[in-house]
Amino acid sequence: MENFTSSWIQTDLLSLGASQVKGLMPYFWMIVGTLVALMACLFKERLSNLLVFSLTLITLVVGFMTSWGLVWTESVPIFNAMMVSDSFSHLMNLVFISAAGITVLGSWAYLKKEGLTYPEYYVLLLFSTIGMMLMVSAQDLIVLFIALELMSLTVYTLVAFRRADRRCNEASLKYFVLGGAASAILLYGAALIYGATGSTQLPTILSMVQIDAGQVSTVFMVGAWLVIAGFLFKVASVPFHMWMPDVYEGAPMPITGFMTTGLKAASFAAFARVFISLGYGQGLSDYLQVHIHDLMWICALLTMIIGNLIALTQTNLKRMLAYSSIAHTGYLMVGMIAGAFNDHGYSPVIFYLMTYSIMNIGAFILLAMISKRFDVGANLQDFSGLAKRHPWLAFSFSVFMLSMAGIPPTAGFVAKYLLFYAAVQAGEVVLVILSVLCSAISVYYYLRVILVMYMKESITPSMEGVPASGLSELSSTSSGSGVGVALSSIRETPFAVVAVGLMVILTIQLGVLPQQWIEIAKQAVSSL
Amino acid sequence: MAFFSDQLLSGLIFLPLVWALIGLLFPASSESQKKWISIWALAGSILTFLLSLGLYQGYMPQGLEFQFKESVEWLPFLGISYSLGLDGISLWLVILTTLITPIVILASFSSIKTEVKKYYFFILTLETAMLGAFVALDIFLFYIFWEVMLIPMYFLIGIWGGKERTFAAMKFFLYTIVGSLLMLVAIFYLIYQHQIQFGVYSASILDLVRLQLPGSGWFSTQSLLFLAFALAFAIKVPLFPLHTWLPDAHVQAPTAGSVILAGVLLKMGGYGFIRFAFPLFPEAVLQYQLVFLILGAIAIVYGAWVAMIQPDVKKLVAYSSVSHMGYVIIGLFSLNTIGVTGSIYQMLNHGISTGALFLLVGMIYERAHTRQISDFGGITKIMPLFALAFMIVTLSSIAVPGTNGFVGEFLILLGTWQANSWIAVIGGLGVIFGAVYMLWMFQRVMFGPVTQEKLRGLSDLNLREGVILLPLIFLIFFMGLFPNFFFSKMDASVQRFLVKSRVQSTPSLERSAFSFNKELLNGKFHQ
Repeated sequence: MENFTSSWIQTDLLSLGASQVKGLMPYFWMIVGTLVALMACLFKERLSNLLVFSLTLITLVVGFMTSWGLVWTESVPIFNAMMVSDSFSHLMNLVFISAAGITVLGSWAYLKKEGLTYPEYYVLLLFSTIGMMLMVSAQDLIVLFIALELMSLTVYTLVAFRRADRRCNEASLKYFVLGGAASAILLYGAALIYGATGSTQLPTILSMVQIDAGQVSTVFMVGAWLVIAGFLFKVASVPFHMWMPDVYEGAPMPITGFMTTGLKAASFAAFARVFISLGYGQGLSDYLQVHIHDLMWICALLTMIIGNLIALTQTNLKRMLAYSSIAHTGYLMVGMIAGAFNDHGYSPVIFYLMTYSIMNIGAFILLAMISKRFDVGANLQDFSGLAKRHPWLAFSFSVFMLSMAGIPPTAGFVAKYLLFYAAVQAGEVVLVILSVLCSAISVYYYLRVILVMYMKESITPSMEGVPASGLSELSSTSSGSGVGVALSSIRETPFAVVAVGLMVILTIQLGVLPQQWIEIAKQAVSSL
Repeated sequence: MAFFSDQLLSGLIFLPLVWALIGLLFPASSESQKKWISIWALAGSILTFLLSLGLYQGYMPQGLEFQFKESVEWLPFLGISYSLGLDGISLWLVILTTLITPIVILASFSSIKTEVKKYYFFILTLETAMLGAFVALDIFLFYIFWEVMLIPMYFLIGIWGGKERTFAAMKFFLYTIVGSLLMLVAIFYLIYQHQIQFGVYSASILDLVRLQLPGSGWFSTQSLLFLAFALAFAIKVPLFPLHTWLPDAHVQAPTAGSVILAGVLLKMGGYGFIRFAFPLFPEAVLQYQLVFLILGAIAIVYGAWVAMIQPDVKKLVAYSSVSHMGYVIIGLFSLNTIGVTGSIYQMLNHGISTGALFLLVGMIYERAHTRQISDFGGITKIMPLFALAFMIVTLSSIAVPGTNGFVGEFLILLGTWQANSWIAVIGGLGVIFGAVYMLWMFQRVMFGPVTQEKLRGLSDLNLREGVILLPLIFLIFFMGLFPNFFFSKMDASVQRFLVKSRVQSTPSLERSAFSFNKELLNGKFHQ
């Protein structure tokens, strides 16, 4: 036993050098901040709420700054190469941290409205963010699995956060059971891959596959498929999408936003890392290559078609965005399929994830502002005439909708352009044609929201009396805490407005001047 | 000054946008404030028009192919740049756009009472998008402007339109976007091919035309790419059988929307064929020449027949657009100098005469609150000036010699005759049908006894409306009598276009047609 351990663990890898310590800094600060915030929950409710809120924001800002500094550094393996600190992981960290930050900003007033002012909410969000960060930097299937569980378990809790609500509980339970099953599948796949290649480390797996290209064993094949299926579940691709609409609908609004952005980005980023190390496009045997490609192809197409078609019929915006999120998963999978075969690699996927996160979380924070208690009042008809009552809200929501539909000059267009261009370069012309047609379907339901906001008279009588409030009136409405106010009017609280405003600016900026952002995405994938 | 002229096109494109953004800062609570906003918008559009006259001054027909060029790298790793340029074809379309915009803004003074600020914002942003699409030399940039155009138009129809406005707005948007997205895939493929064949990325149209694409056969690479482009452009034109969005959009849109739609947006389709589809896919164009000639001929006759039975004046004019744009298509696909020149001329004509028709319909609708032909009668007696203006525009629309419509349709039919005489015959029949529906409508609305008492109270054109119509009526005659004023700037570009499309033209007939123009129609003006 002694011998085995000493030969397997290389001590020089275990000791942390300066660059490794530097690479760990974001994780370190995030964990420290989270633990401090957890302690702060012990104060009396009045105090702890604000304290934890600010601590969370500070933690996220520190985490953001430290990660930002590391985006342009070399890859450094950490902890016996179980983790890696490279620009890919740090760029994705930025996405998760931003998503968490925007969610936190949007949650402040939302939790008050819902009567859920428990500071643990923020701590759980932080834990989940740490899980995501660890997940993308994992170089080992075991570490990846643990990080995935850290991320998922906290999100299961967050989904059930409105515990008095039956839908919330149902969603959480459903998510927990199905998510547990998916995790098990992933773990089983990892075990089989370990059996086939003798390693759980991603680079080792890749080199084993490449050496063995001609004769990949059936065990490996099944293992690879189970791992991929586990990830397809996490990103909610058809046929593993069933859990998603219910969970998205039941979860509190900002958490839904967080899940569609942070969780999805994390799953896709980790998926990309694993996908590459399974040898897709680089050294996999022809048979398995074609096999994986075709099944991914079909899944991608079905995901786009089903996501878009069902979204067409939804009148509840939360559900509509949930289904549209499935559709976006489909587009991203097109990018995954093409990733190995074009000049830009997986960078279009990463760029798409960035832009999708930006516009989607913005849309959800807006929904959280507009909807009433228990997330009711997010139906299409509740939006009628919104442009007259709240011009800025309507404008912001329109920007997000146009961006999701992929209409220039918004970020969504550039993202789709890069993604589909990469796919054409990879020879997937048919898939791209089908994708853009699906995208044309999506234009209808996104535009319908704009149509209702701008071109319909408002029909909900309770909304009539509310004066049109622009950005100037926010402060006056933000302090009111009574439930009655929340039922009748939309409260544009400063935190949420800052969050939405930032997202609108970014959506347009990425649409007009995306150059730097794409460079960053390319830099990130070059380290994969 | 050098800087100014170097950036003239950018300035022209973005002036309306900047103007519109500043306009958003204006307060709009009282009536007088609303008036100031509309005056502000009018001033901006007139300034843009004056700026575009600078282009006319500076454009040298015998100079470089594209003038006033600008190029800034945008997304270099995909070969995408912000590059603009102007040739003799886009020059006139740009001027048409900048001319139509102040006219529709002036025409909106009385009809638009709600959400004035947003309204002018959308009109001016629409102008930016249209101008951008006409001068973009980068295919990516063109696509962006092409799509951005939809957004303000969508709002214009959807907010200020008629009863079925939301339906019409949605239909307009979806129809256009389906075609555009397929074109986008074709654009990807082109850029990718350029990278394979030349080793560098480029999205510039000047580079892409050098591509060698396998071209023979109905479903060769080139043909499929051509069809993807043609679908997008044919929807915009709109070519039969893809025209069904047009009547809805036209009828439901506010007057200004209809005028811009007919005057400029439809030209986008024809322009797209000229700038992109033809030079990029010359062999595919030859392959599909007959198909498009037939579709164009069907559009001419079908549009005219359907227009004939319309009870609603606006719908009638909308269907007449289908018919008129059919001429543009057969002219373009005749692939010779005369036909193409006629086509471009017809695009300008159609912008002016149909634009004027929509304005006139809008004016009478504001007064009588109806557009049904059966509700009118004897308008000549009540509104003589209006009837006079209407008659001139009607004559232009049915291409009576001396008006602009005649020059365009004559050249198109002459050119088409060379390409395919049967199509020219059908096109000629279309002219007759055109006269039938327009004159019949004119007769029912204008002549006869005054059918309804309430019509007697209608007032004739006021000064503002006169100011709106005068430039258009002037142009109807000017373009009809002095076409060489326009051809002189256009000829060289048309020749280059045909060379690029690698189509042999027949010199003898060409010369005779142009000498015909010079001698019979004008001659003196340009000497």
